[in-house]
Amino acid sequence: MMRVAQWVSSGAGVVRCVAVFACAAFALSCSNSPYPDRDDDVKILYSVYGEAPKTLDPAVSYNVSSSRIISAICETLLEYHYLKRPYELIPGLAAAIPEPVERADGTVAYPFALREGAMYQDDPAFELGEVGRKTRPVVTADYLFALKRLADPAVNSPVAHIFSKIVGLHAFGERLVERRKEPSFAALPLHEQYEAVGPVEGLVAQGDYAFEVVIDAPYPQMLYWFAMPFTTAVPWEAIAYYDGNEGRPRFADHPVGAGPFRMTHYDKQFRIVLERNPNWYGAMYPEWKAPGAVYPAEGEPADLEKGITSDALAGRQLPFLDRVEFRREKESIPVFNKFLQGYYDKSGINKESFDKVMDGNQLSEDMAAMGIQLDRVVDLAIYYIAFNQADETLGAPAGERGKKLRQAMSLAIDAEEYIELFHNGRGIPAQSVLPPGLFGYDADYRNAYREPDLARARALLEEAGYPEGVDSETGSPLKLRFDTYATNSAQLIPIRYLVDSWRKLGLDVEVESTTYNKFQEKVFNKAHQIFQWGWVADYPDPENFLFLLSSGMAGPGGPNSSNYRNPEYDALFDAMKARPNDEVRAETIREMLSLLEEERVWIELLYRESFVLFHDWISHYKPPGFEFSTLKYQDIDAQARAEWRRENNKPVLWPAYVLLAISIAVIVPGIVTLIRERQ
Amino acid sequence: MEAWVISNIVTSLLLVSSVLVVLAVRRSRMWSEAMGSLWKRRPIAIGVVAFYLAIGILDSIYWVGGINAGEDVVSAHEAKSVIDRLFADSRERSYSAPLADVEFYGSAPLENPGWHLMGTDLIGRDVVYLAMKGVRVALLIGGLTSLIAIPLSLLFGISAGYFGGRVDDVVFFVMSTLASMPTLLLLIALIMAMGRSTVSICIALAVTSWVGFCRLVRGETLKLREQDYVQAARALGVSELQIILRHILPNLAHLVIITFVLTFSGLVLSEAVLAWLGVGVDGSWGQMIDQARSELSRDPVVWWNIAAAGLSLFGLLLAVNMVGDAIRDILDPRTLRESP
Amino acid sequence: MLAYVIRRLSYGGVVVLGVLFFLFVVFFWVATPDDIARRALGEKAPPEAIEQWKINHGYDRPLWPWQSLEDNMLFSHYESMLTFDFGRSDADDVPILEKIRTGAGPSLALTVPMFLLGLPLSVMLSLVVAVFRETYVDRMGVVLCVLGMSVSILLYIIGAQFLIAKLLRWFPISGFDPSPQVVMRFLSLPILVGIVSSIGSNVRFYRTVFLEEVHRDFVRTARAKGCGEARIMARHVLRNAMIPILTQVVIAIPFLFTGSLVLESFFGIPGLGALTVEAIQGNDFATLRTMVFVGALLFVVAQVLTDVSYSLADPRVRLE
Repeated sequence: MMRVAQWVSSGAGVVRCVAVFACAAFALSCSNSPYPDRDDDVKILYSVYGEAPKTLDPAVSYNVSSSRIISAICETLLEYHYLKRPYELIPGLAAAIPEPVERADGTVAYPFALREGAMYQDDPAFELGEVGRKTRPVVTADYLFALKRLADPAVNSPVAHIFSKIVGLHAFGERLVERRKEPSFAALPLHEQYEAVGPVEGLVAQGDYAFEVVIDAPYPQMLYWFAMPFTTAVPWEAIAYYDGNEGRPRFADHPVGAGPFRMTHYDKQFRIVLERNPNWYGAMYPEWKAPGAVYPAEGEPADLEKGITSDALAGRQLPFLDRVEFRREKESIPVFNKFLQGYYDKSGINKESFDKVMDGNQLSEDMAAMGIQLDRVVDLAIYYIAFNQADETLGAPAGERGKKLRQAMSLAIDAEEYIELFHNGRGIPAQSVLPPGLFGYDADYRNAYREPDLARARALLEEAGYPEGVDSETGSPLKLRFDTYATNSAQLIPIRYLVDSWRKLGLDVEVESTTYNKFQEKVFNKAHQIFQWGWVADYPDPENFLFLLSSGMAGPGGPNSSNYRNPEYDALFDAMKARPNDEVRAETIREMLSLLEEERVWIELLYRESFVLFHDWISHYKPPGFEFSTLKYQDIDAQARAEWRRENNKPVLWPAYVLLAISIAVIVPGIVTLIRERQ
Repeated sequence: MEAWVISNIVTSLLLVSSVLVVLAVRRSRMWSEAMGSLWKRRPIAIGVVAFYLAIGILDSIYWVGGINAGEDVVSAHEAKSVIDRLFADSRERSYSAPLADVEFYGSAPLENPGWHLMGTDLIGRDVVYLAMKGVRVALLIGGLTSLIAIPLSLLFGISAGYFGGRVDDVVFFVMSTLASMPTLLLLIALIMAMGRSTVSICIALAVTSWVGFCRLVRGETLKLREQDYVQAARALGVSELQIILRHILPNLAHLVIITFVLTFSGLVLSEAVLAWLGVGVDGSWGQMIDQARSELSRDPVVWWNIAAAGLSLFGLLLAVNMVGDAIRDILDPRTLRESP
Repeated sequence: MLAYVIRRLSYGGVVVLGVLFFLFVVFFWVATPDDIARRALGEKAPPEAIEQWKINHGYDRPLWPWQSLEDNMLFSHYESMLTFDFGRSDADDVPILEKIRTGAGPSLALTVPMFLLGLPLSVMLSLVVAVFRETYVDRMGVVLCVLGMSVSILLYIIGAQFLIAKLLRWFPISGFDPSPQVVMRFLSLPILVGIVSSIGSNVRFYRTVFLEEVHRDFVRTARAKGCGEARIMARHVLRNAMIPILTQVVIAIPFLFTGSLVLESFFGIPGLGALTVEAIQGNDFATLRTMVFVGALLFVVAQVLTDVSYSLADPRVRLE
């Protein structure tokens, strides 16, 4: 024991050695880089997703984070122009945008011609068709197969009702269910089942590279659905091979497509990797100069200034990136912090960081000095407060009285202040259902009930028979309810603000916050009263917003959750729906909006504006206002990023040494005394 | 009956019963001595706890009318507590720093310049007011929940440990079943069933939190059951109830106190996590902290909200812990024997 | 003893059956099959798709045996759990065993080091505090404990992410990657936060337990015999304080497996804690019931182990 004590007390040199060694080990292992691989000589874009994709099956997936990935893997027939606003369709795997042909029987045919020779990504599934085959061309049969899958109840596509417009497709699904009752039939592979059930009248193959889709009535918005992954080509081999058995993943976890990227790694809880697909038609046939395969020459005038369009870029072959790494991030603050460290290339601005990032309307000097750039885009979306029209007090049963009440409540909400308080001013006070960027949006339109005016609101309230919020008939104060499934304080505070605005009129609105399930149950039973909701566009057409208030969409589970039913509105809606974008359509939309202005089914709150930050090693990035894939157009300078990261991420180690020194100073004498004492 | 009437009745009942308790304590020599020495040891901590209790009581007495609420018309015919009345017309538009004259962002002048001791929050509510409103919630969450959970766990834990056999099996069954359920699911289910209010959240928290203490009590009782004096008492034919009341329960007293203190602070703290998960209580410090979570990453930083909530929470817990410690020292006969 | 263990385990079986029933009741009290379908399909799914989903996943059947004796969900719930046929997740149709397999690694990588480092540390610290009882070290210790306990874990996390990850840049702010060269980078910070945030209440608890023993007669006897303080602490106090410690420790073991919900969520670690929370919030009945079932099995075993370890640590406790 004595020897130990001597060694400890005399061995300061040894202690020092150990300490130095520990420090060195710590310094070496210490790094804030979240990535294991070198990435300074490959073009890797780092991006994030919040929710793990439930499915990557293009027929089923209907949410933002997964459709972003699918649309990079699966090439659609049509796609959106990267730069042009208002949004414009360009051909993807289709050789041209089809011209709809109206037939005498009222049906409409869409003739599609495919690009001959476009191939799928390499995949072992194709061995099923022919031994030793790694890929094969995309042909008509794949599209018909994919469209039939949409009607298959076993696939259960959420958009089956849209595609049941295709003549005979719904009946096909029913026949399929009928035949599947025989076990021998149900055991067949899917493509053989479809074959056996027989053809669909509305899907006409015209050789290997052309086909016609026939729908039962004019529906001009149909084309947009061909720009979504739902209608992408699906090879039957992939469905048959990726069945989840014998260690093979399911197709929903292993999509096979003909897009610019293919998925090489899928740990959906935390990491998804896409890599450049050498079989993509743009890479295999650069001589085609297909519109979806080269960088566009024209965009908006402002794009030229920002360097998003230039002569050098125009016509360059896509994609620029070698790899896209998606990492899962559930919270927004870490995303932003990692962005500031250079580990993510792009980021939104969370509310908290806004004042640091922005200086008035501009990027702050600090940010600009870091080489960070800002772009902003108004989302194709509307956020609103809605009244349940089936409600006794606020809705249609209350007649004129209810309408006046709604008008008064609308006048009490100051959208500008709301946006300033809760969105840092990122947004435009909404005047109507239609956000900017859509046909029918009028920047000069002013809604008579969307300018806060408490005096007028009080007068209307009195007319409605509720002076100061007290029912003049019964003499008891009016009690209203705001139904929400927001449960945490950050979400509840904006609602508190709205409720407090109504209190100024004397209206007592109680916030009832329940679980999401309970809320859905209330909506389903029409037992809700006032609620807040939003809608994000599927495609850039006013129909996709105005349909939210048509009676056809009302009823249990329908998107018209305010249960608004007005024959006048419905007639206008039907007229507007089938029209091309002309003056008549604009006039119809104006009529619809003025009807809604008076009715106050909704209190239109805001159109949100997204601010996107990106480092200057990203070039020619333009954020889209709704979800379509832009990955193939983006480019990065990996070298510049690597240098920037090295520069800005040196660990600050002195506190560790200080801590270590303190603990040695405290512990060593303690041990020494203890040992001495024991002697 | 309306909620505020019930609150008034319960508050007065509590006040009356605490007066009765004080009178009873004065009669018993042992207890009045114990309380006397507690007061001698921890005067400050007791004062702090009393201060919190006073705020909680002031915030539990409601009446209608006689209020100047500025723009807020509805308040005029709503029941408001004393605390509400003190801060009735203190609303601003948005953030302002402590004792500031202007808004934090944009420098617009305030309605009540220099009046907000701890500033105002995102929608302009006075932070001192919010922190004071949080006192009642915290006392309810910590106190009411413990008051439900501890007797439950004592009852089940002692009977399981002492009687063993079938009783133990049943308690073991109930305990294990509850403990195996994810707490969050249970909480959501219970809160949904009872409706979302402070009291129902307390009951839900009690149901999910009694198991841990029950297990401890059971283990300790298992040990005590084998002690000589218990065996002796049993041999002498003392009734089971007597043995439990005389020999088992007093030996668990220190555990009860410690657990009360730990669960009290634990519950108030876990409410913050619950607030983050969306099952929190309206107006709690947990909600303030959860909200301030994002305010801390604002730049320039908004610190007063979290400082107010954090300090209120810290003050209460520190005081409660101090008092709890002292009570433990006093009540535990073994420490009594040793202390000078 | 063996008879006792077998008896306890068979009671455990009853408990598991009870848990399964209770879970079924509670879940369908809070959610309906429609809610499960709506969460699986997403916000924009039309009612027809929801109906179809229920048919495809067997949720169109009646819940209770009294509605239909031969084909109801309660019976098939028991059947699939008791045959360990966990099936596929309701949210994304991934086999649940696969979910557990991928989630267990990150969870254990986080909780086991937290446990193995945190427990000895808090026992040691509380022994130190107990040795120096009634001195300024003890008082300081208690105050520090209370200080540590009065801070919400959310604040610890945000503080650590801000200070250590953002300002000092020692570790990434959050995220996960299982490759061995970087995995500790991601885990260091959550492990640190986990230990620091729980050390206050642990030290306090063990201190109470140790003080309890310190005042006992045999300790005084030992001291009178001239035993050193360290020896008294190790031999007499620590040994006799084993019951409360064991209760805490053994019961904690199943929860190592179920992971740490808050830490996993905030640090973006794809473990089983995060999986369970997601299953609750996303109405994923199939995943939730499996997690609860496995948790209950572990829990029952841990209970029996606690009792056995009681009798090993303290011969006065008889198991019969």
